Amino acid sequence: MTATAGKESFMAQAPQLAAAMPWLDAASALQKDNAENWIKALRSTGAESFAQTGLPTPAWEGWQYTNLRALNPAKFHYTSEPVKFDATKIPAPLLGTHRIVLVNGQYQPSLSSLPTHVTVMSVMEAAEKKVEGLEEQLVTLGDLAQMPLVALNAAYTRDGFVMQVARGKDVTEPVEVLYYNAGREAAAYPRVLYKLGENSGLAVIERHCGEGEYLANSYAAISLESASRMRFYRFEEESDKAFHFSHVTVQQQKDSSFEGFSLASGGRLAREEFRLQLIDKAISSSIGGTYLMRGQQSHDFTVLADHFEPDGKSVQLFKGVVDDQARAVFQGKIHVRRSAQKTDGYQSHHALLLSATAEASAKPELEIYADDVKCSHGATAGQLNPEALFYLRSRGIPLSDAKSLMVESFLAGAIEKVSHEQVRDIYLARVSAWLAGRGA
Amino acid sequence: MLKIENLHVNAGGRAVLKGLSLEMKAGEVHAIMGPNGSGKSTLSYVLSGRDGYEVTDGKIEFMGQDLLAMEPEDRAALGLFLAFQYPVEIPGVSTTTFLKTALNSIRKKRGEKDIEPAAFLKLQKQKIQQLGMDPEMMKRGVNVGFSGGEKKRNEVLQMAMLEPKLAIMDETDSGLDIDALKVVSEGVNALRSPERSFLVITHYQRLLDYIKPDIVHVLANGKIQKTGGPELALLLEEKGYADFYDATEAA
Repeated sequence: MTATAGKESFMAQAPQLAAAMPWLDAASALQKDNAENWIKALRSTGAESFAQTGLPTPAWEGWQYTNLRALNPAKFHYTSEPVKFDATKIPAPLLGTHRIVLVNGQYQPSLSSLPTHVTVMSVMEAAEKKVEGLEEQLVTLGDLAQMPLVALNAAYTRDGFVMQVARGKDVTEPVEVLYYNAGREAAAYPRVLYKLGENSGLAVIERHCGEGEYLANSYAAISLESASRMRFYRFEEESDKAFHFSHVTVQQQKDSSFEGFSLASGGRLAREEFRLQLIDKAISSSIGGTYLMRGQQSHDFTVLADHFEPDGKSVQLFKGVVDDQARAVFQGKIHVRRSAQKTDGYQSHHALLLSATAEASAKPELEIYADDVKCSHGATAGQLNPEALFYLRSRGIPLSDAKSLMVESFLAGAIEKVSHEQVRDIYLARVSAWLAGRGA
Repeated sequence: MLKIENLHVNAGGRAVLKGLSLEMKAGEVHAIMGPNGSGKSTLSYVLSGRDGYEVTDGKIEFMGQDLLAMEPEDRAALGLFLAFQYPVEIPGVSTTTFLKTALNSIRKKRGEKDIEPAAFLKLQKQKIQQLGMDPEMMKRGVNVGFSGGEKKRNEVLQMAMLEPKLAIMDETDSGLDIDALKVVSEGVNALRSPERSFLVITHYQRLLDYIKPDIVHVLANGKIQKTGGPELALLLEEKGYADFYDATEAA
């Protein structure tokens, strides 16, 4: 960030960027609150960066396949006022009893309950209480100018929560985090921190859903201290009129492990970005996902495994299906820095196209500066094998069942890697339900 | 059971079957022998309902119904089974899941309830033993990593589980050594019954030493050229196909 010029003078130089301004209207109003100084500074940094870049266009590196032209700034409105919602519409927990609920990004303590050894507070409360390391972990790592949606989220730093697990504590039951969006063209910008103390363990189920039209743009930082273990399971089930952008940065210390998985079936247009930062030695990190796209839906998984130090292992494994006129994008990169010797990196993406008009795009990348590493990657896109379909049908299996059987088997190749058995079963059930809704 | 009348079929823009007629009764084993390119495999695929074959004339009646009007899965439910010459590999779908899904699909079409899981496993175990198959193979993807002989055994296993009324065996002997051929044939012979018919399609007489046919047909140039008893197969083995049709007619 080098820009010091005010918004007005900048816009005078580049009037075309006036397009960025409606996005920031409510952000300047927000600055009148009594937030901590560092939060106000984070907001300004985000706003200034976004004012300069605006939304990314297909000319941007990393945005060739996901076009944001349908995203109309005049449509979505942010408010810091407590959101009104119909509590009966909030879906029941997927699993277990402990969960925290966000509505339009705002943490709802009255709807939340937590297991022992886990503490949760809103970002504003955490800032007031000066939670250790909060500022350095909530301030975005990396170049905001390259991440306009993260910059926009930063400009609205207020909502979201901080979840902490005390060192040495292993929380066995998954904690569900429900991101519920009440619709009515609201914009939600939650900023979230998961902070696992040394040698602690946590499993989180993040469910993103809502009603009608809205914009959900979240940023989550996951901070894993040494020898901590995080399982992070996501359900991106936004309304089919919604825009979803989420960015997850995982920062891992020595001997920690991260297992992430996302099943994406929602949204009109969605992009989930994962940045795995293996900043110390002997770190294990995996991220997997499945997408189920149909109608006019569009989804983008963009993943970076960034190896800083030796003996790290990272895995990216994605499999998805695309039907009708839907689109899916996978962009995966393994970055091995010069000092990251003995890195073991793996990446694969496989897309199954169920219609002639469905589209899948993949951009696999390896960027390796160390000389003693093992990295492999593979990407395929294909259709159901007609010979196999005929073989199944010749044994009495109806065409639609034969297709479902083959799609389930294909996706199970990714879902089977989910180590939490109950969560894995929910993922598999989601796939079956999606296929059942598809008909023949 | 099966009645084929004056069947004409085009495949790949070429007339392959040119007026084939054939009638089979319940419990009979018919062999169709013929040279390469005579239309043997085309007949098996047309009977099972594979895409890519255009029936230009004739009709096929199976169990009193118009077979050509039916989808492949409905033909299977009615009791038709094709043992493939080249069984297809289906990665990710375990053989057990495949067998159970197939069996229950057929039961459902017939208005029956799903088989009890325990009963299914018992049945499967019994058939696997009969065919000398490794139970571990049931966990693998259908035909994935199976040898040629294992694939053919797997075809017979499916036949044994699904208990068809008519089993069409398309070059089941191809790619089998003599030991595998014996096992596969024993599996087939164990299924012979007064209600079940077999249509054995083969290029060589060898298979017919193990699966004894009641009736042998010579198929050449897209037509049945001659029909006789088992002795016809031996005659073919001795004299070749040339005596049974005019090879120049094919051109």
